Amino acid sequence: MSDTVIDKTPNIIIDPTKVKGDRKRRMTVGEIVAFVLLILLTCTMLFPVIFMISTALKTSKEMLQFPPTIIPETFAWDNFKTLFTNDEIKFGILYKNSIIVAGLSVVGTVFSSALVAYGFSRYRAKGKKIMFMLMISTMMLPYPAVMIPQFILFSNLGWMNTFLPLIVPTFLGSAYQIFLLRQFFMSLPNELYDSGKIDGCSEFRLFWKIALPLSGPALATVAIFTFIWTWNDLLGPVLYLSSQEKFTLPVGLAAMMSSKFRIAPYNLLMCASIMTTLPVVAIFASAQKHFTEGIVLTGIK
Amino acid sequence: MNQAKKKWLILPSLILVFVLVLSACGGGGSNSGGEKDSGPVTITYYTIDSPDRTYVEKLIPDFEKANPNIKVKVEKAPYEQFDSKLQANIAAKNSPDITSHFGYGGFAEYYNKDLLADLTDIMSEDGFKGSDFGISDELMDIYKVDGKTYGIPFSNYVTILLYNKDMFDKAGVPYPPSDYEDKSWTFDKMVEVADKLTVRDDDIEKSAYGVNFGWGELDMRPAYFGVNVYSDDTWTNGGKPSETHFDSPEAIAAYQKLIDLIWDKKVSPPPAWSKSVAGQFGDPFLSGKVGMTVGGSWALASQDQFNFKIGVAAVPYGGNDKERSVLYVDPLFVLKGSKHPKESYEFIKFLISKDVQEKSIELSGGTPPINDQAKEKYYNSFDGVDPVAIKNVYDGANKYGVESYNHLVANYSQINELFINEFAAAENNTSPVDIVMQGIQKKLDKLLERVNK
Repeated sequence: MSDTVIDKTPNIIIDPTKVKGDRKRRMTVGEIVAFVLLILLTCTMLFPVIFMISTALKTSKEMLQFPPTIIPETFAWDNFKTLFTNDEIKFGILYKNSIIVAGLSVVGTVFSSALVAYGFSRYRAKGKKIMFMLMISTMMLPYPAVMIPQFILFSNLGWMNTFLPLIVPTFLGSAYQIFLLRQFFMSLPNELYDSGKIDGCSEFRLFWKIALPLSGPALATVAIFTFIWTWNDLLGPVLYLSSQEKFTLPVGLAAMMSSKFRIAPYNLLMCASIMTTLPVVAIFASAQKHFTEGIVLTGIK
Repeated sequence: MNQAKKKWLILPSLILVFVLVLSACGGGGSNSGGEKDSGPVTITYYTIDSPDRTYVEKLIPDFEKANPNIKVKVEKAPYEQFDSKLQANIAAKNSPDITSHFGYGGFAEYYNKDLLADLTDIMSEDGFKGSDFGISDELMDIYKVDGKTYGIPFSNYVTILLYNKDMFDKAGVPYPPSDYEDKSWTFDKMVEVADKLTVRDDDIEKSAYGVNFGWGELDMRPAYFGVNVYSDDTWTNGGKPSETHFDSPEAIAAYQKLIDLIWDKKVSPPPAWSKSVAGQFGDPFLSGKVGMTVGGSWALASQDQFNFKIGVAAVPYGGNDKERSVLYVDPLFVLKGSKHPKESYEFIKFLISKDVQEKSIELSGGTPPINDQAKEKYYNSFDGVDPVAIKNVYDGANKYGVESYNHLVANYSQINELFINEFAAAENNTSPVDIVMQGIQKKLDKLLERVNK
C-alpha cells in the first residue's frame, strides 16, 4: 500500500498543463480501443440485467412471444403491485424475514468471527496450530454432509419453523471469516498493543479499541460476504422454515418456478429478482471501497 | 472514565437484546408441538410450494368442518429441495403423514426405501371401492405391489398431442383427429402432416417445424413402437429390472426412427434450434413455430397464455396399442412414519371425492381429476379448446395408456440423467444411434448393478 502512494507522488507534482497534453496524446489509439472494448464488454454484462428489467415489465402473454421484445410493447408496471399484493407470494413478508435473518447473521458472524480471529492472531498457546487447522478443515465439509445431523439437533431443540437454526450458528463464528480476519489482524503491528497495554487497556479493550477500529475494511468484507451468502441461502431456510409467514426471499423465488406443470410467472419472478438484488447492489456500491481494500489487504479473493 | 463505562455497557446490553429477540423467535416453535394426545390430531400434508399444488390449503376448512377431530397442516418446499427436506424430516422422526412423489423420486423409490405405509387393511376395513370414487381398477392397480395398495391415485395427467391451429390453417392442412379409434392417424401420417407444416429456412425467425415428439422420457420411447426395454419382472418387483435391452436391434431401430425425425425427415427441430426459440421457458411449442407437440397434458393448463390457438388430438398409433399414451397418475401416499394413518386416509378420501375433485380443478388451475364423476367439468375448463376433443383424448389415453416409467422404475432419476447426458450425442447427430445405445446399455448395466443390489 505504502509503495503505491510513493509511486503516485511524482504524478501529482507534474505541471497540470503537461498532464492535460499528456492525456490528449494518450487518448488516441490504445485507449480508444480499450474504451470501445470495455463499453462492449459492459453491454454484454448488462444484457441479462436489461432483459431482467424488460421481462419484469411484460404482460404474461408478451413474455412468451418469439422473437422476444427488448422494449415491452405495453409497460406492465402493475407487475410490481401484483408482487406485493398477491396473497400467495406475500412478498413483503418474505422481504422482512430476509432482512431479519441476514441482518442478525451479519452481526453474529462479524462479532464472533472477529473475536476468535483475534485470539488466533494474538496469542500463543499449545496446540494453537492444530486447533487452527481443525477449524480451517471444517471449511472442507460440504453442507449436505452435516445437513441431516444438524437438522436432527435443531429439531430436538424445538427450533423448527423459527429463525434460530439460521441465526444462532452465525454467533458461533464462521471458519472462512475467521481465517480472513486472522490474516488481517496479523498484519497489525504489535507496538500498537504494547502502547495500549502501557495505557492500562485490558485484553478485551485491546481488541475492542485497537484491533476492531483499525479493521474497518476487513470487517466490511466479512459483513458483505456474510450478507450476500445469507441473503441468497436457499437450502437452510427451506429445511428449517415451514410456514409461509417465516419464508425468506430465496424460498419465495424458488417457489415461483417450482411448478413442473405450469408456465412460471417469469415476469413476476423478474420483478421479485430486481427487488431482491437491489439491497445487495446498494450495499456493495456503498461499501465497495472498503470491500476491495479489505480483499487486497488480507490477500484473499 | 464515565464515558468509557457507558460504552462498556453497550456490549452486554446488545447481547441481551439479541437473546431476547432470539427467544422471541423461538417462542412459537415450542408451542406448536404441544397438542398431542388431547383433542384433535394434526396430520401434515407435504407438497410442492406452487399454486397448482398448494391449492389443498384452501380445501382444508371444509374437511375440518366435516371432521372436527382432525386438523390438517400443509408443509411445503420448492421442487428442487422437495426430496432433501422430506429426507431430513424423516431422519429427524418428524415425518409428514401424506405426500406424493412430487419431487425427483418416483413411487418405486419411496417403495424401495420402505417409506410407504400399506393401506390395504385400512381400506378393506373401510370397504373402499375405487368405483365409488370414479377410479377404474386399472388405475388403482398402478400403485399396488404384491396385491397391497401403497398409494391412492388423485390426479390423472396423460400424454396428448397439442397442435397449433394457426399453423395448420396457414398451411391449409386438416386438423388431426382426437379419436383414438381412428386408425388412419398413425406415426407415419403424423410425419406426413408435419412435413407440410415445416418451413426449412436458415433464418431462425422464418423457420418452423412440424412436430416435437416428447413422448414420455427418453428410456420409455421404444415402448411407443412396441419394443420392450425393461424385463417383465420390473413391473412386479418394485421397479428393479433384472435385464434391460436398450441395445437390441428393435430398440435401436425405434430410437433411429425418432432421430430421423430431426436429421433425415427434418420435420422435428434439432436441439440447438429448440434451445434458441424456447429460451428459458423450455418448450419450443410456446414460440408458435412448432406445429404439433406430443407431451404431458399439463400444457393445456397454460393455454390461455399462448399467443396462438390450439387444439388437442390423439397421440398417433405407433404400432403398440397398449402403450400409446403415457399416463402420469399421481397417487397420495401415507408415509410409514405417520402416527395417524387412519386420519390421513380419511383426508385422501376427501381429496378424491367428486365435489372436492371438481373444486380442485379450478383452485389448481387445471389439474385433471382422477374421479370420473368430476371429469366433465375438467373437459369444459379450457376456453377455446373443444371439450369433446379433450374428452376423446383422455378416454383414449386411459384406455390405451401405460403409467410413466418414472413412477415405476427404481432409481429413476439416475437412469434418466444417464439418458439425457448420453443420448444428446444422437440428438445432435454427432454419433450414430447404435453406438450411443450400446454405450448407454453398458453404463446402465453398471448403474443398475450398483444401485439395485
